Amino acid sequence: MARDLPFIDPTAGRSRSRIALAPRPIDLAGKVVGMIDNTKEQADVILKTVAEVLESRYGVARVIIHRKEHYSKLAPHAMIDELAKEVQVAVAALGG
Amino acid sequence: MKVDEFEFFLEKDWSDGFPVVTPTEERVQWMLTGTRRNSDEVVGNIPPAGELATVRTVAIHALMAGCKPEYLPVVLGGISLMLREELNLGGVQCTMHGVAPLMIVNGPYADKIGLRGGNGCFGPGFRANATIGRAIRLMLMNLGGGLAGIASATVFASPIRYTACLTEHVAQSPWESLAASRGHAPGANVITCAMVESPRLHFDDVSTEPERLLTGIGDAMTAPGSWNMWFNSDMVVAMSPQHAKLCAGSGMTRAKAVERLVDLAVRKQGQLRRGGNWRPERARAMGIDPDDDESLIRAVKDPQRLHLIVAGGLGPVTAVCHGWNESSHFVHGTYEV
Repeated sequence: MARDLPFIDPTAGRSRSRIALAPRPIDLAGKVVGMIDNTKEQADVILKTVAEVLESRYGVARVIIHRKEHYSKLAPHAMIDELAKEVQVAVAALGG
Repeated sequence: MKVDEFEFFLEKDWSDGFPVVTPTEERVQWMLTGTRRNSDEVVGNIPPAGELATVRTVAIHALMAGCKPEYLPVVLGGISLMLREELNLGGVQCTMHGVAPLMIVNGPYADKIGLRGGNGCFGPGFRANATIGRAIRLMLMNLGGGLAGIASATVFASPIRYTACLTEHVAQSPWESLAASRGHAPGANVITCAMVESPRLHFDDVSTEPERLLTGIGDAMTAPGSWNMWFNSDMVVAMSPQHAKLCAGSGMTRAKAVERLVDLAVRKQGQLRRGGNWRPERARAMGIDPDDDESLIRAVKDPQRLHLIVAGGLGPVTAVCHGWNESSHFVHGTYEV
């Protein structure tokens, strides 16, 4: 790395930690699925339709939809933490 | 094998695609002579990756960009301002759009370091304009992770993402500066920053009175497909001294010119719904009946968000920079020199 070089790594100090991906489920039967509505127009309509299909065709127990403040703003940590507690599968869903 | 530092930096994605000045410890110490601040002082975390910017890391990037030490206070002031929540830098770093944080630097320090407000001020060719804006961009990439294909979903980006920094053409302006119009003292060193697209040039070598001139500029401020039509967002209009003087010569103040542009930058909904980003939901969100073709849609919803400056050289041209969406609000403030 740049440590051995006669110049500075401008990104030095960057956290190198990586978070392992959660195991992917084999199927969705009986699972609680979470989605985030990004507030774009008709996102709520699309996600509600997808939720109905997940429940009727794939045996999903329940779909929980959270709505962000604005599509151009990050989802707040509290919303992500809440989802993590409530659901087994989360989809970063978009509308628009 | 000897490492070629230019190639090394380019291969590491630590540049904007152009060679950078190699940051050696000696050169970084030289750059730090441009500020009295402690090099360990925290400036903030650059979104969305959230890497920490300190005075030292800002200096490293200013150096890489080609700044002189005396530019460092403007780079530090600019990046600090951009981290204010209301500007929503994180959103811009990730958006499909191609806007960039344009810095309009007012006050005596801009003049002292040679920031350009006259002809050619959007670049290229002027070291302060080119490198201060580039230093910001390198930080947004290296510390913020705002790289196309990684955190940034930008469809095109735009040339204004290489650099976006200028001052006003004070010597030729008939009006007070943008900063003074916002209540800053005339001698204050102030940066105004708004998220905008690259400038579109509007030529008018015909008008001899303000109304016709402003009617044309107002039309350039409107367009199907511009987010300004549907959201309360920012817009920068840079009038050449010739155009500004045409207004001022008729007794028009800066505030009056802004007011008139707000009224003239308008389209009927019927024109806008033939193409672009018109949606019934967007009309309704503005309290407008989506079926009423005669409804007037203004490009500027709040006069405070039309940033009218006087810049550029001699000639009959105004540059119009459309904005982003309502999640970002311009910021302005003084900086330490």
